[in-house]
Amino acid sequence: MSDSAESPTETQKEEPQPPADDSATSEEKKKIDVLLKAVGDTPIMKTKKWAVDRGRTVQSLAQFISRFLKLDGNEQLFIYVNQSFAPSPDQEVGVLFDCFGSDGKLVLHYCKSQAWG
Amino acid sequence: MSWFELNEEKFHHCCQLILQQSEQLSDGWIWEVVQGSKEGYLRKTALRSVTIDSKSVQKQKGSSLDPEPHTSYHSSVEQQGQEDEQPDCIKDDIDDEDAGICMMTANSSQVLQFEYHILYSCSYSSPVLYFRAFTLEGRSLTLEEVWNSVHPNFRLCLQNSPLDTITQQEHPLLGQPFFVLHPCRTKDFMRPVLQAAQDQHRPVNYVLSWLSVVGPVVGLDVPLKYSTQLHPAASLSSTEPD
Repeated sequence: MSDSAESPTETQKEEPQPPADDSATSEEKKKIDVLLKAVGDTPIMKTKKWAVDRGRTVQSLAQFISRFLKLDGNEQLFIYVNQSFAPSPDQEVGVLFDCFGSDGKLVLHYCKSQAWG
Repeated sequence: MSWFELNEEKFHHCCQLILQQSEQLSDGWIWEVVQGSKEGYLRKTALRSVTIDSKSVQKQKGSSLDPEPHTSYHSSVEQQGQEDEQPDCIKDDIDDEDAGICMMTANSSQVLQFEYHILYSCSYSSPVLYFRAFTLEGRSLTLEEVWNSVHPNFRLCLQNSPLDTITQQEHPLLGQPFFVLHPCRTKDFMRPVLQAAQDQHRPVNYVLSWLSVVGPVVGLDVPLKYSTQLHPAASLSSTEPD
């Protein structure tokens, strides 16, 4: 199993998140575990594992990663599921988790590339 | 021909697979053959409700532009100071804050008819997406209107080099003016997918994967079911090397 150094405990997705640092989840939103993997020479995120609201869109997540990695405007971030397709930006990560999650998490590969031209 | 390039025969094969799935999903793709030639292309028509911003997009510093007028998603992670890297956090929350900025510029929302064609480009050894759009009264959209209707997720990149992204060209088989999504970056974003597929000895439908990336840029939805049918979640291996 990969990333053994980073995940000492497995969080059950049904149980509420134990408040680690920010206990901002006052509402009962369900979160899913997302594991972000860099592809190619894309910078690796220091924190790879995230708890993400089910309703968050792919676009929102991509924006977050882009800002985290400080990508500039010329660079587009691509996210892949199953390493075989790119989910639509409006897709909710919760749905992706239901379809493609395994071992309690959704693995997303991300790759930065020069913009389309 | 490098292994991650697509030849015409494979293109046809991939398209046939998509057609089969499309029929099951009632997704509307059909194969058009050009009279007197072996060439063909995938075609689909779809109605799409588009919010066309007459002004260009704002700087995407802290805003999350949402194409759906009735839902708004706040992405205000930077307000939590995420830019200073979290020190030894193993797991972190991406939280929304209620004070998030939502920039909605719903100027006009209208229903447009889009027609999408997937052709094979010999020069780029890749599929290419041609499309055109009309209002319901039959007026075709201008290039500028098309640029303004691009999904917000891609709009910033589009703005930086619009002419490299979507341009107007003559359809190679029909000879009519179409908009085309420039294929020169296709290999760049296809490479990770193909590399992974090769590493795992798993089949990937080149055209489908390509379409999942480029489709949303111009409002073409590729239902998830195309991919769940190919790769049931249970068959996913979690022992992939890092």
